[in-house]
Amino acid sequence: MSDQLDYQVTVEELSALMKRTAGVHVDPITLQQQADDGFDTFGLDSLGLLGIVAELEKRYGLGLPEQAERCKTPADFLALVNGALKTGV
Amino acid sequence: MSGPQRTGGAGGNRRAVVTGLGVVSPHGTGVEAHWKAVADGTSSLGPVTREGCADLPLRVAGQVHGFDAAETVEDRFLVQTDRFTHFALAATQHALADARFGRADVDSPYSVGVVTAAGSGGGEFGQRELQNLWGQGSRHVGPYQSIAWFYAASTGQVSIRNDFKGPCGVVAADEAGGLDALAHAALAVRGGTDTVVCGATEAPLAPYSIVCQLGYPELSRAAEPDRAYRPFTDAACGFAPAEGGAVLLVEEETAARERGADVRATVAGHAATFTGPGRWEESREGLARAIAGALAEAGCRPDDVDVVFADALGVPEADRAEALALADALGPHAARVPVTAPKTGTGRAYCAAPVLDVATAVLAMEHGLIPPTPHVFDVCHDLDLVTGRARPAEPRTALVLARGLMGSNSALVLRRGAVPAEGR
Repeated sequence: MSDQLDYQVTVEELSALMKRTAGVHVDPITLQQQADDGFDTFGLDSLGLLGIVAELEKRYGLGLPEQAERCKTPADFLALVNGALKTGV
Repeated sequence: MSGPQRTGGAGGNRRAVVTGLGVVSPHGTGVEAHWKAVADGTSSLGPVTREGCADLPLRVAGQVHGFDAAETVEDRFLVQTDRFTHFALAATQHALADARFGRADVDSPYSVGVVTAAGSGGGEFGQRELQNLWGQGSRHVGPYQSIAWFYAASTGQVSIRNDFKGPCGVVAADEAGGLDALAHAALAVRGGTDTVVCGATEAPLAPYSIVCQLGYPELSRAAEPDRAYRPFTDAACGFAPAEGGAVLLVEEETAARERGADVRATVAGHAATFTGPGRWEESREGLARAIAGALAEAGCRPDDVDVVFADALGVPEADRAEALALADALGPHAARVPVTAPKTGTGRAYCAAPVLDVATAVLAMEHGLIPPTPHVFDVCHDLDLVTGRARPAEPRTALVLARGLMGSNSALVLRRGAVPAEGR
């Protein structure tokens, strides 16, 4: 379906979520460049990531895989979340 | 424990001293704003104006106005914490700056501990998340609810933010717990930790928290700020609550000197007792024993006490018990020693109230000025309560008292600067 393209979390959105739910400020360009660095290098802890997962689940009205909250890097997280959104799991 | 970093020898030779003060009080943020108002005898009690509180039967409290947590604390700590922890994080930075304690002074993260006391917790944060839970569903509760509203939040966040990994603790023991936290800090210092960040801050002026307090018969429901909290008078009608508090930097004396810090006061003695919730008559004996124990640990005689910072609950029976406890413990000196209760100008911030008193006591000894007790004029007990304006004096030994609504009684003896060897 064509509207599935809308169901993709971008680096910009992740940056905004990190700021809003966890108070961690990382601009999208930096986040893109350092997408393979650990979330902890940005100051985002496990509860912060959990908050972002909960926010996405609310937004898209579905449950994300349990591994989402255990992702170590932005790249892993976006790949997993967008994969799940694509298949609608 | 600091292990190899310890500098002051072991056991009995290690003394806990105060080298820095951080204050967030209804009088203002920072030691200077607080002390100016305290010394002037001005009152910061006023109507409760915080959101959602207008229709509650608590009319008067000591609110902290103009506090901007973002001035000292990063967003990522602010989003996951309640206002009471915002106060603690900010007061900690003030205390560290006041003591000129910087990164270079930290030998090892394990040489700095954190001890706070809390009696109210993160009520505002908790209420918001519980409203999300019951109003919108469990998906709408943020994960930080799991840490933000607990008593331990401030110790944990101060430790995490500053990378202080020494002995950490939380005292959840009623208002008197504020003094007990200082005793824990002194114990940690004696046990080998060179530095302890210690204090208490509270933020009980949110709707849920206020409703929790409405059951206290001791809570004043007076509507006029100048009549709400007048301990030791015939007009005593309970206490006005407050928010804010203080954080002190407590260091081992030799370690403090080696880094060039000013030794501003010595935590010389402490004792605590328990006499049961609301049993104010019995608190006489409990408080007297706490005073005697604290003086004994400090190696002080009753006559050595130059000023008393009273608990001053504002309940006639409790005020009488406190006056009698002073007479029991200090003898004839109880009628001569200046007694003050500057908290009548701020309200009682639960666990934070006695810590704020300790900070004020350090300042009073340094300025040679005993601050007055705002709103109190006609004292109906045999006490020399300092009222009206501040009294010039040279206090070298201060006795700080605290009682909790649930029955704890504590006394702390503070001595100006370092205590000479013969005084130990």
